[in-house]
Amino acid sequence: MGEETLRGVQQDSTLADPAVPAIELLALSKAFGTLQAIDHLTLSVRQGEIFGLLGPNGSGKTTTINLISGLSTPTSGEVLVMGYQMPRHARRIRQMLGAVPQETALYEELSAWDNLDFHADLFGMPRQGKKARIMQMLDLVQLEERRRSRVSTFSGGMKRRLALARALLHDPHLLYLDEPTLGVDVQSRRAIWDYILSLKEQGKTVLITTNYLEEAQALCERIAILDHGKLIALDTPEHLKQTYGGNVVELETALPITVADDIRQLPGVQEVAQEGTSLRVTTQGGSDVVPQIITLVTRAGELRHIAVREPTLDEIFLRLTGTALRD
Amino acid sequence: MHTFGFSLRVLWACLKKDLKSALTEPLYTLVSIILPVNVLFLMSLLVISGGLAPTAVVMQDAGPLAQQFYTAMNEAHSFVLQHATADQANALIEQGRVVAVVTIPADFDARIRQHQRVSVEVQINNLNTDFTNDIRRALPLSITSFYAKAEPSVVTITPQEHDAYPQDLGYIPYLAVPILVIGLMVGGMVQAGTAAAVEWERETMKELLLSPASRVAILLDKMLAAFLIGLLGAAIVLAVLIALLGIWPVHWGELIGFTLLILALFTAWGTLLGTWHKRRTPLATLAIGLCVPLFFLSGPFGPISFFAPIEQVIARIFPVYYAIVLLQHAVHDFTLNTQGIGINALVLAAYALGGLILATVVVRRSTLAH
Repeated sequence: MGEETLRGVQQDSTLADPAVPAIELLALSKAFGTLQAIDHLTLSVRQGEIFGLLGPNGSGKTTTINLISGLSTPTSGEVLVMGYQMPRHARRIRQMLGAVPQETALYEELSAWDNLDFHADLFGMPRQGKKARIMQMLDLVQLEERRRSRVSTFSGGMKRRLALARALLHDPHLLYLDEPTLGVDVQSRRAIWDYILSLKEQGKTVLITTNYLEEAQALCERIAILDHGKLIALDTPEHLKQTYGGNVVELETALPITVADDIRQLPGVQEVAQEGTSLRVTTQGGSDVVPQIITLVTRAGELRHIAVREPTLDEIFLRLTGTALRD
Repeated sequence: MHTFGFSLRVLWACLKKDLKSALTEPLYTLVSIILPVNVLFLMSLLVISGGLAPTAVVMQDAGPLAQQFYTAMNEAHSFVLQHATADQANALIEQGRVVAVVTIPADFDARIRQHQRVSVEVQINNLNTDFTNDIRRALPLSITSFYAKAEPSVVTITPQEHDAYPQDLGYIPYLAVPILVIGLMVGGMVQAGTAAAVEWERETMKELLLSPASRVAILLDKMLAAFLIGLLGAAIVLAVLIALLGIWPVHWGELIGFTLLILALFTAWGTLLGTWHKRRTPLATLAIGLCVPLFFLSGPFGPISFFAPIEQVIARIFPVYYAIVLLQHAVHDFTLNTQGIGINALVLAAYALGGLILATVVVRRSTLAH
């Protein structure tokens, strides 16, 4: 109790106090033998926020989520969920947590209804209204007509949707989705995104790990980028672009030009890539070097096309981690 | 919420789920149920097949005394006798189809009547010293037995037997109890181990561990479902013992109680193994591999007090020994150690609790992701 009092958390009023972070990681570390999976990770997720955890494979995303849900214990540091310390209040935290693990963890030999009914009992949901709630969730994920079908007969997208319904069944305050659209077709992906966005309207906090940057961009208010267990960036997608991105200038000339090296020398130019008559120049954030680039190119030859755009998250990610996200 | 009532609800929900899951794989469940019966037959064959030495008898004398000697050998419970001519007997021993050839000479009756020495030729295939020693022991016994009947004035045998128990018990009925214990062990361990391991294999353990249900409640559920299915196997084994072997238990209450306790013990250890290993495939192999040495180590043919001291110490380490003691008392009213039935039962209960605690520790230490 002492730890909670220090942080000003009242056991019963925690959920009513929006100032209490939904998730708070304090200098969190986890080592598996000599492998440092998480290295002094500190971050905070606000209540009602959709928060993205990004990183290449092996960056520590799933380990972080396992630490938050108490499936793994930290080597050092602290995890607080809605002000409650994990693992001291593991059961209370799990009651507030809805999870869609990457592997869905559904009982494939049972029906969709049996899976949800079992989950309801596991979470001690009141018997009164249980059936109605299950129907409501099946309806939400459009599986009510397949409620008596075995899960083994479901497609990947249907399984994901059922796992989402299961996670929402006990009305959790915090939902974590580990790669929610992995292996899901485009149509189902869109539907799952819509569900996730509707959760925000209900005031739920959602933590997502994903390998799809467009997914993070579409859903997340803030993004944390992990690499080798370390936090290397944390901001909104827009701010990340402004801070780490600068602009991307794409030029098309009539003939291949020979001023690429001159452009590289310009202050504020980060990267120059030339392929035939195409030239792509990446500038540093806030730099006003675009007019100088255009001047150099027009002196060297005929400029046929020019476009200035913001960098994609993929480009930022590549720049920050030195690797593509799905490597 | 974390009340006893909630734990009971979780237990009931998990039990329903496990039984439903088992029914979706009826063949697998059926195999698990009849596994103890298979073990019963396997172990019975194993111990029965090594008992009697196949022996050819060449009867060169057809007189009544020679016939009486043949009968004495037959009643020694060490031979499987067959008549043969000298040539047939030679062929049989050369082909390795008999352990020994006993030749009763043509002048057997005449020499016995004249109180003269008779040479009974015995040709032994000493490939297996166990059988060879059986022959060496049983033949003098047959001779003594023969003389006791044929010439009671020459050899007088008056048994002075004081029985420790009111009834004699055959080899097979005695052996049936250790085999029942082994059947319960294999059935309980395989059923519970499989039920626990499948949750890890299919990664559904995550659903259970992410719930607010306690680890103990989750593991108790795994045990309970396996226990109920294992009970079916135990009932079939008991039915076979009663119907086919004609074994009628002396203390029915003890039999039921101890069977439940023993099954609980082995389902707890099965749950531990399944939780620890997290794979189904090696569990049956492991259980069957363990059962054979434990069977022979735990006094299947008699009390372990007949064993060497070191063997007794080793036998007492394993719960199979205590289970045999309890069930021999329940079935045959035998007391095989001096610790008392209550202490033996407590030891088994402690083993069961230990299995559950260790399984809980294993789950607690398990991390699902790396």
